[in-house]
Amino acid sequence: MDEDSFEEVLRDLPRTYNAPPEPPLDEMWTAIDDAHFNAPIRITRGRPFSAPAPWLAAAAAMLIGIGIGRYLPDNTRSTATEASAAANIPAPAAETSAVADAYRDQTNHYLGQAAALLISLPAQDGSPRTDSTFAAKASDLLVTTRLLIDSPAAAQDVKLRSLLEDLELVLVQIARLQGDKHKGDLDLIHQAVEQGDVLSRLNSAVATTQSSE
Amino acid sequence: MAVSNFGSNHDRDGGTTHRVNESQLIARVIAGDRLAGRTLYDTHAPRVFSLAYRLSGDAEKAREFTQDTFIRAFARLSQFRGDAAFSTWLHRIVVTVVSNARRSEIRTSREVALDEASSIEAGAPEAEPDLKECIARAVERLSEAYRMTLILHDVEGYTHAEIAAILGVPEGTCKSRLSAARAQLRQDLAAFKE
Repeated sequence: MDEDSFEEVLRDLPRTYNAPPEPPLDEMWTAIDDAHFNAPIRITRGRPFSAPAPWLAAAAAMLIGIGIGRYLPDNTRSTATEASAAANIPAPAAETSAVADAYRDQTNHYLGQAAALLISLPAQDGSPRTDSTFAAKASDLLVTTRLLIDSPAAAQDVKLRSLLEDLELVLVQIARLQGDKHKGDLDLIHQAVEQGDVLSRLNSAVATTQSSE
Repeated sequence: MAVSNFGSNHDRDGGTTHRVNESQLIARVIAGDRLAGRTLYDTHAPRVFSLAYRLSGDAEKAREFTQDTFIRAFARLSQFRGDAAFSTWLHRIVVTVVSNARRSEIRTSREVALDEASSIEAGAPEAEPDLKECIARAVERLSEAYRMTLILHDVEGYTHAEIAAILGVPEGTCKSRLSAARAQLRQDLAAFKE
């Protein structure tokens, strides 16, 4: 083998030497997820949003429930029923189902938290301390919002993506709340929530994800 | 809501368009955030799997090595200081995982070879190997350090600086190892007639 041929061998190595197949990403993730996130001893996040007390989450959940019953149009209810029926169809692979379940829980949790935050948002400018509590919670939710926007769930679900994008804008505004510095911002935030029909869309999304459980 | 393929946001080069930066993601994974974990995984898993496959040549092993790498990485994430890129830190783990497994395999195969040496009968003569097979065998004959450097540089396209960080050796050592590996490879392939 001459010099030129050897150079060619080196150039072709990425193609000829152990060319990897498509990685089984979901299958590998199931094992990783199980080993790390479902391990018996876990590091868990503290409660960064402690100010408006646990009753608030319960109240938010109740309001969401009332909202679902009262405001959802009939076609949404039937979609939820269809989704529920579809959920009874066994998934093609157990691990895909496990991954989907885990992330559906995550989405549910997120939607509940976002609803709780928006519902508990004061109507008028609050104290700097209250503002910073909301701002901290909004920043936290903002990261999850962006992760969800980048997820295939949002890519495949136009309604969810649109809701997440609107929530992102609202959360950015809430995250910037700093007492007197942004007087009047709360009005703008409430307007954005109202104009974008964010709360009722949030209710819809919660209904859809819960019905698919 | 469509969730059946929730966890497969990736492309071959890990080129997802993330809005959240990596240090935020890492902090969230440390805090137990599964979604952040999956996002971090989606970004890096294709490259980690590719490297694991190149080094092992076996899809099943590559899968196990990739899983092992991420499980270890997530467990030690709080130790990641950010001195090097996260990908470098992760690739160092995969290289260690594969090297440890190979060392263990070599030990086992030596023991098996000694046990079976007396009972092996001469089989049918092997067919003349083609160039691809010759290259694979020649790469396999390299020492572990040379093989690793050659695969990282000439197959996976890492720079000498990246290889130095992954293997924990000076850049000069990488260059001399690559040069020696190529020389040995060339010598092994010299006899091959196209």
